[in-house]
Amino acid sequence: MSWITIVWSMNAAACLTLAAIYLVVWCKQRQVLAHLIFSITAVAAAAIAGFELAMMHAGTVGQYEALIRWIHVPVWVLTVAFVAFVRLYLHAGRPWLAWSICGLRTLVLILNFILTPNLNFQRITSLRHFSWWGGEMISVPFGVASRWGLLSSVSLLLRLIFFVDATIVVWRRGDRRRALVLGGSMIFGAILAWHVPLVIWGIIDVPFFLCFAYSGIVAAMGYELSYDLLHAAQLARQLQASETDLRETQERMELAANAAELGMWMWDIVRDEIWITDKGRALFGFAPLEKVDFNRFRNTLHPQDLESVVQAVANSLRTGEEYESEYRAVLPDGQVRWIAGRGQVEFNGDGQPARMRGVAVDITKRKQAEEQAARHRNEMAHLARVFTLGELSGSLAHELSLPLTAILSNAQAAQRVLAHGGADLAEVQEILNEIVSEDKRAGEVIRRLRLWLKKGEVRQHSLRINEVVEDVLKLIHSDLVNQHVTVDIELARTLPTVTGDPIQLQQVLLNLVVNACDAMADCNTQERRLLIRTGIENGNGAVIVSVIDGGGSIPEEKMEQIFESFFTTKEQGMGLGLSVCRTIIAAHRGKLWATNNADRGATFHFSLPIRKSDGRQS
Amino acid sequence: MTARPGPTVFVVDDYAPVRSAISRLLRAAGFAVAPFASAEEFLAQYDPQKVGCLVLDLAMPSLNGLELQHVLAKAGSLLPIIFLTGHGDIPKGVQAMKRGASDFLTKPVNDEDLLAAVRVAIEKDRALRREQAELSEIRARLATLTPREREVLEYVVAGKLNKQIAGDLGTVEQTVKVHRAHVMEKMRVRSVAELVRLTQRCGISAR
Repeated sequence: MSWITIVWSMNAAACLTLAAIYLVVWCKQRQVLAHLIFSITAVAAAAIAGFELAMMHAGTVGQYEALIRWIHVPVWVLTVAFVAFVRLYLHAGRPWLAWSICGLRTLVLILNFILTPNLNFQRITSLRHFSWWGGEMISVPFGVASRWGLLSSVSLLLRLIFFVDATIVVWRRGDRRRALVLGGSMIFGAILAWHVPLVIWGIIDVPFFLCFAYSGIVAAMGYELSYDLLHAAQLARQLQASETDLRETQERMELAANAAELGMWMWDIVRDEIWITDKGRALFGFAPLEKVDFNRFRNTLHPQDLESVVQAVANSLRTGEEYESEYRAVLPDGQVRWIAGRGQVEFNGDGQPARMRGVAVDITKRKQAEEQAARHRNEMAHLARVFTLGELSGSLAHELSLPLTAILSNAQAAQRVLAHGGADLAEVQEILNEIVSEDKRAGEVIRRLRLWLKKGEVRQHSLRINEVVEDVLKLIHSDLVNQHVTVDIELARTLPTVTGDPIQLQQVLLNLVVNACDAMADCNTQERRLLIRTGIENGNGAVIVSVIDGGGSIPEEKMEQIFESFFTTKEQGMGLGLSVCRTIIAAHRGKLWATNNADRGATFHFSLPIRKSDGRQS
Repeated sequence: MTARPGPTVFVVDDYAPVRSAISRLLRAAGFAVAPFASAEEFLAQYDPQKVGCLVLDLAMPSLNGLELQHVLAKAGSLLPIIFLTGHGDIPKGVQAMKRGASDFLTKPVNDEDLLAAVRVAIEKDRALRREQAELSEIRARLATLTPREREVLEYVVAGKLNKQIAGDLGTVEQTVKVHRAHVMEKMRVRSVAELVRLTQRCGISAR
């Protein structure tokens, strides 16, 4: 075997190997079309090498003519593949040039099979045999070139222009390595291909070596593609590394979350699937492998909290604000658990909520402590009310004795009227009307008393503070009369409603009024004036109630002390009143404080936050 | 205002249903009633000439029961007062009774108790008015005596004999006899015992 056979065969073999490798690559990654194109290119290049070798060893003119005709097939494939590669992989090259080259080359292929013996020659007159490169005998054609061969040359020229143009575009784009390697090799190959017409026209006397012009391009393409593959592999490794990091981070987070008794969850809103950590599953009583969706979560909620949670979620989905709620979950065994939930919505590109991530934490202990504290506070408040009632019992007895007196005297008057005969029916009617209305009044007093003494669950109502003021004045009316205290009231006409327990708020106000009356006990009757005012606090918009008396001032150093338990200035006082008042107001998230008036006396204020999204009181 | 023959019960209470019920009860029992919503209103319309009594609520805004009693006492009124109070306020009751209240009743008040108290009070008023009338009559008679006759009267009610009086005054027994006759005549009494009773009621002391 000679060098020529070895070199051309190796060229073909190398091309076929590359083609095989990239065919496999393409099979694994079908979306990258460049790999398939490259594979086809390499096969075509190998075929060209084979045809060239066969031509060099052709024994007859007929054989040579047939080989030239058939070599056009791989050349056509190669040309189309190059153009496609430039367009698809480099994203360069003018489309009209690309279509012109492909069209012209197809025309060349068709004419090649129509014309005899082929496109390049009118006829081959003889084969010249000579020894080349280490003594091997090779054949070179000798004959008349066909004019149609010009078409092939034009396509070759167009290809050169196409490559140059594409290379410039890629270079300008800043992708200089590709421009140099791929563009350079393609331009070089296209120039090198010009030896074909020169050989045909008999200008130079060498065998065809197109395969080298093209295998250079194939090598460059292979280099670029393998570079990409390497790069992808590198990326994959980095991705793997970062995934490992991510997993570790997740594990650490889960560890921390478990330590903090946090259950983490993620709700895929589109598919309605909730992923939740094991800790979270335990919190809600979900089975370890149970599929959880929103409805499953909903079903765990305590009926009384269901609406508020659903509302909070809906609100968060609508506004994108943070989801936050405290609710009770009923576990499968019937146990009730308090849970605090927080979450954040993530939106997709269309602004639709896609996911919600968050945490859930068991707050049962805190809630129990809060409930116990509230119970304790309410018991204290109740005790204080009973005590206050003791102080007011005279006043209340008076409140009751008034209607009872009217009823008794009216009834006895009626007895007398009837006993004397000739009763005036109209008068009896009037008497009965008065009895009924006075009985209702007595009933009202008793109802107020019962409410006042009721020891039960404290309910949070939406209420108007002005009504609390009016109720308190009804309760203490006779006491105020007895003590010669004149009460002025200045109630703001439009106030937002507040949330609270009406009886406890009455208790606070009553305490402040009783204290104010006591503070004025030593004043002249003309000076015993009390002002109760309601309004809005500047700044935070809270509702404020002020009880302003004309008694003595409070020494500055005792301003805070007066709110402590068992601090009293009264002989019969327990010293619980103001401290209970302060805990009540604090439980209503409000404030209670005292100030001294500029002229005389002191003022006690309490403020209460208004309800969210509240309409104005009319 | 024309004086009515019968007695009038004045009812002062700030609470209208009680005021009207009490008034109605008293009327049904045959009394003339004059109701007032406040102490001030009563003071503005009160006619001291009217016989009767005052049913007064203890606890009222502005001028209360005890204060009204004080105002009336300072004005020299002798109108008997029956206090009505919502609750057994013992200290105030004691205070009211010390100041001469006729009675002190707690609400709700039974009709018999109230009517009995009203009758007693009216009787008291009548008696007081009678006594007042008698006293002024006696004082009017006393005013007709000459200074000498007055002196003689004081000796007489002290139980002295004419001779002793004449000796003390440095005159003769006959003159004393004349004076004494004038005194008896002007005072319209027939016996010394009667004279003594009259002078005692006026607070004239014997010499």
